[in-house]
Amino acid sequence: MAYSFSQVFLIALGYLLFLFMVAWITDRGWLPTRLVRHPAVYVFSLGVYASAWAIYGSIGYAHQYGYNFLAYFLGISGVFMLAPILLAPILRLTTTHQLGSLADLFAFRYRSRLVGGMTALMMLIGMLPLLSLQIKAVAESIQLLTGEDDPGGLAFWFCLLITLFAILFGARHATAREKHEGLVVAIATESLIKVVALVTLTLLGLFGVFGGPGGLSEWLQQHPEALTNLYHPLQDGTWHSMILAFFVSAVVMPHMFYMAFTENLNPRALMTASWGLPLLLLVMALCIPVILWAAAAAEVVALPDYYAIAVGSLSGRHGALLAYVAGLAGASGMLIVATLALSSMTLNHLVLPARTRPLDESLYRWLLWARRLLICGILALAYLFYLTAGDRHTLTELAVLSFVATLQFVPGLIGALFWPGANRNGLFSGLVAGFVVWALALLLPMLFPSWQPTALFDLLDISRRSPAAQWHHVAMASIIVNSVVFALVSLFTRTSSAERNAADACAVDSLRRPFRWELEADTVDDFVQSLTEPLGPVTAEREVNLALRDLNLTRAETRPYALRRLRDQVETNLSGLLGPSVAHQIVDDHLPYKPQAESESSEDIQFIESRLEQYRDRLSGLAAELDSLRRFHRQTLLELPMGVISLGADGEIIGWNLAMEQLTGISAQRTIGSRLSALPPPWNALLYSFAQGDSPREPQAEFTQHGQQRILSLHKSQVQGAMPGERAGGQVIVIEEVTDLHAMEARLTHNERLASIGRLAAGVAHEIGNPVTAIACLAQNLDHEVESGEIRQAATQIVEQTRRISRIVESLVTFSHSGGTQFAVQGPVSLDDTVTEAINLLRLDPDRRGQVFANHCNPEHRVRGDNQRLLQVFVNLLANAADASPDDAPITVRSRMLEQTVEVEIEDRGHGIPPELRDTLFEPFVTSKPAGRGTGLGLALVYSIIEDHFGSIRAESPVADQRGTRFIITLPGFSEEA
Amino acid sequence: MYTDRLLIIFILGTYLLSPAIIEWWSEGGQAWYRPYLMWLLLIGLCYWIGKSRDFDGL
Repeated sequence: MAYSFSQVFLIALGYLLFLFMVAWITDRGWLPTRLVRHPAVYVFSLGVYASAWAIYGSIGYAHQYGYNFLAYFLGISGVFMLAPILLAPILRLTTTHQLGSLADLFAFRYRSRLVGGMTALMMLIGMLPLLSLQIKAVAESIQLLTGEDDPGGLAFWFCLLITLFAILFGARHATAREKHEGLVVAIATESLIKVVALVTLTLLGLFGVFGGPGGLSEWLQQHPEALTNLYHPLQDGTWHSMILAFFVSAVVMPHMFYMAFTENLNPRALMTASWGLPLLLLVMALCIPVILWAAAAAEVVALPDYYAIAVGSLSGRHGALLAYVAGLAGASGMLIVATLALSSMTLNHLVLPARTRPLDESLYRWLLWARRLLICGILALAYLFYLTAGDRHTLTELAVLSFVATLQFVPGLIGALFWPGANRNGLFSGLVAGFVVWALALLLPMLFPSWQPTALFDLLDISRRSPAAQWHHVAMASIIVNSVVFALVSLFTRTSSAERNAADACAVDSLRRPFRWELEADTVDDFVQSLTEPLGPVTAEREVNLALRDLNLTRAETRPYALRRLRDQVETNLSGLLGPSVAHQIVDDHLPYKPQAESESSEDIQFIESRLEQYRDRLSGLAAELDSLRRFHRQTLLELPMGVISLGADGEIIGWNLAMEQLTGISAQRTIGSRLSALPPPWNALLYSFAQGDSPREPQAEFTQHGQQRILSLHKSQVQGAMPGERAGGQVIVIEEVTDLHAMEARLTHNERLASIGRLAAGVAHEIGNPVTAIACLAQNLDHEVESGEIRQAATQIVEQTRRISRIVESLVTFSHSGGTQFAVQGPVSLDDTVTEAINLLRLDPDRRGQVFANHCNPEHRVRGDNQRLLQVFVNLLANAADASPDDAPITVRSRMLEQTVEVEIEDRGHGIPPELRDTLFEPFVTSKPAGRGTGLGLALVYSIIEDHFGSIRAESPVADQRGTRFIITLPGFSEEA
Repeated sequence: MYTDRLLIIFILGTYLLSPAIIEWWSEGGQAWYRPYLMWLLLIGLCYWIGKSRDFDGL
């Protein structure tokens, strides 16, 4: 086919450089994010599944096993069609806990370094045949194109190239935590190239060989054996075991796990992949029989594995090159991704746990170089495997060897997701048992042809000559042995509590309720200090800050709930860096919980709630109804018009409703997870002492906040365990603000007192009135009838004094009539006019002519009421003000319109109200005037009139410079509509 | 609810792979594309489910 090795090698180099450019451009952010995160990119990146075996080997497989080749494409399609059930839980787990590989997932779920290490090791061994298959496919396709003799040498150069690019693509960062957007886009591009090349080859075969679909149909009618060869192998009963093998092993393959979960840039894209990937694979699978038939019709002379190249070459050397590029794309993509995935896995589970030196500042650099060396090592091993066994076996034999090996991880994965009872002993035993069967029946016979365990071969009905041909027997036998051992050992051995907790975090349907423990670290600084020992000060600081940022927490955080979340996040982030085993060990050793019996710990209600919120969409049936009920109760509690605090048994605040937020001005977010003693003053002392006290209620808890006195009514109750015999679950505190209620009660009492004084006054006035009138008459008579000057002067004084008594009696009568009377006129009263009239009246008094009054009432402001009675109010208040003020000090009246009311202020610059009178100012007979000048009924009368008008009055004194008094009256405004 | 629908697909898919389907498939004769049609039908069903439901679970 007349291509030189250097030409073909340069094409490979150019192709990989092109892919690298795509990755580089993406990483630089030159491609729009919408495109990079588009679900189609994710779907195409999953096309990494279709390795060189899909391009070359599947045609050879179709040639030998007919339609069974479809199992390879249909198996993984089935998995993705069930993505919401099977893959979404895995994606959720890997995203939440930063698990980068299957070994990470197993080590996290089964809480065992050994399991993680063994998974990594077995995955590495199991994947070597598939990696060597890619090397073999590319090397042999180059051999076909160039006619070179030594495929081993070609493979070497190819491996070198791939090693370089694998490092360039994926090992530029120390940690697998960062998403490699460039890698994802490059692999998606690679898949696109692969599909386009394969479809082009198919069209070349279809139109070049058959002249179109009609020609193919005609050829098939003339050659019915071509169809029989496809259909016939379906009858041998291997289909079911094959579809099962491809169905389940597809997800656990490291390169698929890596692209589907670790490098997932957009979780919702999984839904698109549920139909997108099957469609992509359908297009590829549709090409296989057409290429096979085209090769048969053209009677090409080539190994069936390389019919694609042969059919391509029918259209000339460029056609062959197209097939080579398709195979190269499949092989390089798979090799790069699988090597990256395996390097992370071996680093986290084999290398890091074995490292004895403490981790320090050079950690990131060390990790980077370890990953690079591991990539070299893994590709070197794959190359060695190719040299040892690759040459003697077909692409299909190498592929099935890996597929059966990866199949062994499936019971463990199902256990992790769906069976909380599964434990590490079971997984370990099952894996070993399954791998032993695989190694004895498949791996060793393929590596060493002399290895012939006849008893095992006979038992599994395997041909001694070609064990790989009956691989489905080995697949079924190994998976059955694995599953049975896994289940039995899990059932009959003890599961540790750490493993049970991890099982709950992983299980799709967990019934266990998590418990709350208290950390020894009390502050974020304690975290940094504790982690400094294993990680060094710089890394510890960086990791704690990263976790704080992830959780949106501040450095000042001290809430136990928040610190527990911080601990989990630190572990999750470290897991992304060092793998879950090492991360768990570090966090367990250096951020321990306080020793506490489980019976003393409380259920982590916050955690349960957040988990329920997270999994809300997954609830159906009864669970969904229960969740609705929970939401209803939660909302009821949240919106209860009284403050409710719910406390855990350990005193941690687990509930803080909206009324509490309004009452205290402290948000639930700040309080949930903390303790009452950590609240800001005055709430901490008030609530803490009440929660600790014996009394279940405190009807009048007084405290001062922002200079204002507030009164609360507190009630508390112990919350009993939900189930009989269960321990107490804490307490609930109900709080109601009664400041306004107390003020109203005081007002009512005052009114009542006024009313009784009024009644008394009426009686006294009546009883005194008559004798005083008689005395006055007698004194006047005396004045007229006697001549004596002294007696007449005495009589005049008696008359004078009786007038004074009459004035007092008149005041008493007025006061006694003021309460409770309904005034006839409810009309509008202009405040401006009324105040002006009051001022004019006062000016009639010669003593007050010099007094300065300033009426600033708005003429528009009108109130509902009785003009004469309101005039009485203003006369009283202005007279009082005038009495208290010097003549040159102005007395100001202002009005202000509020929403429904009008506020009037009467302000003087007088001597103010003496402190001892302030509280009893509106009581009858209270006055600051000298005896004889005031009855002390004026303000009591004003108060009564204002109350009758449904208004209110209050006094402020002093106003400024320790002088002055301000009376503020609020009256209902008048509006035409009302 | 959507879980039930997926289970229906799962059952349908399993049915596709069941011996009766295999028999129908292998008796296809010239209609060699039969499995692809079934496959396409399943893809259409998955597309419809994915479209009809906003997948908030992820």
